[in-house]
Amino acid sequence: MSKRTDRKRWLSILGILLGFALIAAACGSDDDGDDEVVAEEEAPAEEEAPAEEEAPAEEEAPAEEEAPAEEEAPAEEEAPPEEETAGDNEVRLGIMAECEGAFGGFHEDITAGAVLGMINGAGATSNSTTTALDGFSGASVAGTPINLVGIGCGDDTPDRAIQEIRTLVEQDGANVIIGPLSGDEGIAIANYAKDHPEVTFLDGSSGAQDTTLSVQAPNYFRWHADGAQWNAGIGDILHNTAGWDTAAVIADDYGFGWTSAAGFTAEFCAVGGDVVQQVFPPLGTTDYSSFVAQLPNPDEVDGYFWVIGGTGTNASLEAFLNAKGDLTGDQHAGNLFFSPALAAALGTDIAGAYVGGFANLPGDISTPEIDAYLASADAAWETLAGGLSGNEPAEPSLAAGFGFMYAYYSASAAFTEALAAVDGDLSDNHAALRAEMSTMTWEGPFGDISLDENRQAIADTSVQQLVLDENEEVISKTVVIVPAVDQTFGGTFSEETDPPERDNVSCEERDLPWVGNAIPVVDGVPQN
Amino acid sequence: MTIDPPSDPLLRLRSVTVAFGGLVALAGVDLDVVQGERLAVLGPNGAGKTTLFNAVAGDIRPTGGTVEIRGVDCTLLPSRRRPTLGLARTYQKTRLFAGLSVEDNLYLAQCGKEGSHFKLWRHGREAFWRERARVAAGRVWLSDQFDVLVGDLSHGQQRQLEVGMAVVTQPDVMMLDEPASGLSRGERERLTELLTDLAAEETLLLIEHDMDVALKVAERVVVMADGEVVASGTPDEIRGDPLVQEIYLGRQR
Amino acid sequence: MTGRPSTGTMVISAVVALLVLLPAFGSDFFIDFVMTRTMMLGLAASTIVFLSAYGGMVSLAQWLIFGVSGFMIGNAVAEAGHGLKLGWNPWVAVIFALGIATAVAFVLGALSARTIGIYYLMLTLTYAVIGFLFFGQVTTFSGFGGVTGLDPPGFFLDHPKRLYYAGVVLSVIAYVTFRAVARTSFGIALQGIRDDPVRMSSLGFNVPMHRMLAFTLAGFVAAIAGVLNVWWNGQIDPTSISIGPTLDLLIIAVIGGIAHLEGAWLGAFVFVAANNYLRDLPLVDNIGITEARFNTVIGALVLLIMVLSPDGLMGIIEKVRAAGRRVLGGPTGPTTAAPEPRLRRTSS
Repeated sequence: MSKRTDRKRWLSILGILLGFALIAAACGSDDDGDDEVVAEEEAPAEEEAPAEEEAPAEEEAPAEEEAPAEEEAPAEEEAPPEEETAGDNEVRLGIMAECEGAFGGFHEDITAGAVLGMINGAGATSNSTTTALDGFSGASVAGTPINLVGIGCGDDTPDRAIQEIRTLVEQDGANVIIGPLSGDEGIAIANYAKDHPEVTFLDGSSGAQDTTLSVQAPNYFRWHADGAQWNAGIGDILHNTAGWDTAAVIADDYGFGWTSAAGFTAEFCAVGGDVVQQVFPPLGTTDYSSFVAQLPNPDEVDGYFWVIGGTGTNASLEAFLNAKGDLTGDQHAGNLFFSPALAAALGTDIAGAYVGGFANLPGDISTPEIDAYLASADAAWETLAGGLSGNEPAEPSLAAGFGFMYAYYSASAAFTEALAAVDGDLSDNHAALRAEMSTMTWEGPFGDISLDENRQAIADTSVQQLVLDENEEVISKTVVIVPAVDQTFGGTFSEETDPPERDNVSCEERDLPWVGNAIPVVDGVPQN
Repeated sequence: MTIDPPSDPLLRLRSVTVAFGGLVALAGVDLDVVQGERLAVLGPNGAGKTTLFNAVAGDIRPTGGTVEIRGVDCTLLPSRRRPTLGLARTYQKTRLFAGLSVEDNLYLAQCGKEGSHFKLWRHGREAFWRERARVAAGRVWLSDQFDVLVGDLSHGQQRQLEVGMAVVTQPDVMMLDEPASGLSRGERERLTELLTDLAAEETLLLIEHDMDVALKVAERVVVMADGEVVASGTPDEIRGDPLVQEIYLGRQR
Repeated sequence: MTGRPSTGTMVISAVVALLVLLPAFGSDFFIDFVMTRTMMLGLAASTIVFLSAYGGMVSLAQWLIFGVSGFMIGNAVAEAGHGLKLGWNPWVAVIFALGIATAVAFVLGALSARTIGIYYLMLTLTYAVIGFLFFGQVTTFSGFGGVTGLDPPGFFLDHPKRLYYAGVVLSVIAYVTFRAVARTSFGIALQGIRDDPVRMSSLGFNVPMHRMLAFTLAGFVAAIAGVLNVWWNGQIDPTSISIGPTLDLLIIAVIGGIAHLEGAWLGAFVFVAANNYLRDLPLVDNIGITEARFNTVIGALVLLIMVLSPDGLMGIIEKVRAAGRRVLGGPTGPTTAAPEPRLRRTSS
């Protein structure tokens, strides 16, 4: 308190240091090459703060020693990623998974999807019979080894995703990333990808449209459809089969809700329908009555399209039940959140409703390719504690048959196939590999997938219907498969259009390339 | 500093009432204090002495009546307006800045009265204030503790500093709430000396239980009971007042 | 006491020198990620410490101001995606963002100027929640998707070391400034308000005004940290300023020691290091500590530190120093000796 006179002295000391810092800042950034110093000398770094002599020293040193140990690449451990690319002769795979947040329950599923791709495509074996989180070993394609350097732990927020990706890329040295799970994470990572051309990014299951359509990172590949594409086919059926001319849309007020709703609206309007009202309740709403009140009454509109996820699905439909009358299958439809489970709370009147698709095809469809894929998952593990089984051990094929695991599998399997096609060539920032992925068609178990010029999947999607089975229980049945759905919806969406948002949904008639090509499905067998 | 004619009181209270809910703590007190007067307020616990101080100093807002300082009605003015009107008070229960040194406490007392609260740089009067703080510390016998954190002072030293906080600003009206409590016999004598040595134009209001201090310092004594002024007079008159002896002195002695 | 720098000053100067030299021997990841983040979080946390240590105000709104600044940068510079998409020059955006964030701090500071203690904590928590919901639900500025694809100004683009140095320089400036402010009339008065606002008022101070200005100053510094964060992270979204990160910042301040400015950076370093390196420790998997359980670990760490010393790591340091002084005798013995063993360790 009485050391005021000291102040001048140490201000001057700090002032000198500041000057030093500024000079160093000006020239410090370009001397990456000088940083080739062995790991032990990093210990002084910990002195930054007195008093934690113990903790960081122990934390940091092993971290530094382990990373090189995992990498077999000779003498490259300290070099920045840019310098590695020339001599890359291995794949250092990072899986961007999701251990926390709303989708944390699917951590196992999505990791298993990526690992299964390595097992089926690169001869890997899982390190455990009951979990994918222990990784795999023995993977290689055309002599190029594939090593897992880390599994990132997202929580469906972009901030966290970026930090995890930076750890995977900048610390663990990953040069191939599979992930992430959710839409906003995908946009953030695609932007990050632009600054890291030496890394190849394979989207996991994130469904935002911008990720590929507007960010357009040249090293970011998405082997599954986006959230709008998943709703392809349903607008056509509702207008032309169910006879809806007008519809009202109620959707979650955030990226995925807008995108999913935009997919429905684009097609419904393209074939001649009209969306007369849109309502966007904020994410996390618990009482939907005021939003439902804004919807037209059942006699004023032909039907309602619901894009409300999570616990909101039930809550919003119940609010409708209370305010507007019965929930009947012929007047309601929804995106993938509309599941048979709703009938348990809302009654079987909901049977008849059409439901949009997801990354895979529904479980009632059976083809030899699908059976082989599911069997490969059962062969890879004895059990997996996936999200569908409430994270209790279950048949791996249960998880494998769901969109999250399949989307990660698509990325992983398509990647290994492309790597084999280019004979393991990773030179020149994976140029050959990337060129191959841009042009190839991956013949996946749920249909062929190719990429457009924005490296976005052109994929098959499905429309399902809730129906009553012989036990008078509501189940989901696939109605049609819509082949080769592309991201632009016949030009409705483009790089120039703003990302789907509540205010900028356009409703106009236009030709969609897939309308009329839908393949009917009868009792799980596509009629083609 | 202008000296007002004695007929024009420095401090004028008119039927000042303070009620906390149903409890009437001050029931219409009238009081005039002229420049240079030394007034002691006596009374048993709960008589309303400290409430009277709070009402005058603005720490609580009277529910009725008016408080005028130098003819300015400041009944509803917040307490922070008082120092510029020349008022300084101390507290019965020490209210000091425990995390600051004695010097900084005394410095702040002057800052508060003189302005420059928001200065982020040194200013011309800083050195003068620091010096005055040193002098004031000497007057309350804290020269040796000048750099010590107030939280580290003994209780008695904190009471000394409490008086110092008022003395250092050289206020026109100094209101001391039981300055002698917690002091040793020797310290009380020194305190009495300090108060009797105050400049003649300084006005002093004193709440004090110690009769030796109060009656030696005061020229006039006001006795309160149950929120009202029940007697007023010179120390000798008060000593002889039977009512006062009954309600107050009688119980004390 | 005069004319000779105190040992604390020398230690801090040594630490700053070390930070300046660090890029010469730290790995790229350590500098560009761990240390850069340490500097940003430390800078933000120092505003909590400043308000708490000098003003007696434990604020949970600092991360919000940090976020407001980031969102304003995002809205100002972005040309596509969500938000206003103004497409401004990044340096103009900085002035814009600091201005808006400081104005927000001013208003919020005014609203909470008369609130104290636990109510202050709750009120600022309310600000944080409102801020999160505001940017989540008002799609004019962001929406839950956030503002993405933000590049720093050209000077920092592809020069992560420069961003690190910016963090160091700004941290040092903030530290020196906060320390210096504490010795001005304003700072001494702020500490007086911390100790006894009633007395300060009766001495003639406008207590609410003081608290508001202190909050605004802290908000300005938090806003600077927010700018750095957006440059470093390339994006910002509402969950970046949700309740979790808000509490993380308080945890950082508590780990370091909420009564010590230095503790902000120390706490940030421990937090970031634990976040990044804990998962790599051998054997932690075997006791069930995976990356998914980081929050449990950091919680246990905070608990341990709080039990050992309510004043965080800086409190522990002071205890160790005091103990060393008692053992070795003489006030300078332990403090000058303290840095040496660590320096020696590095060469072994």
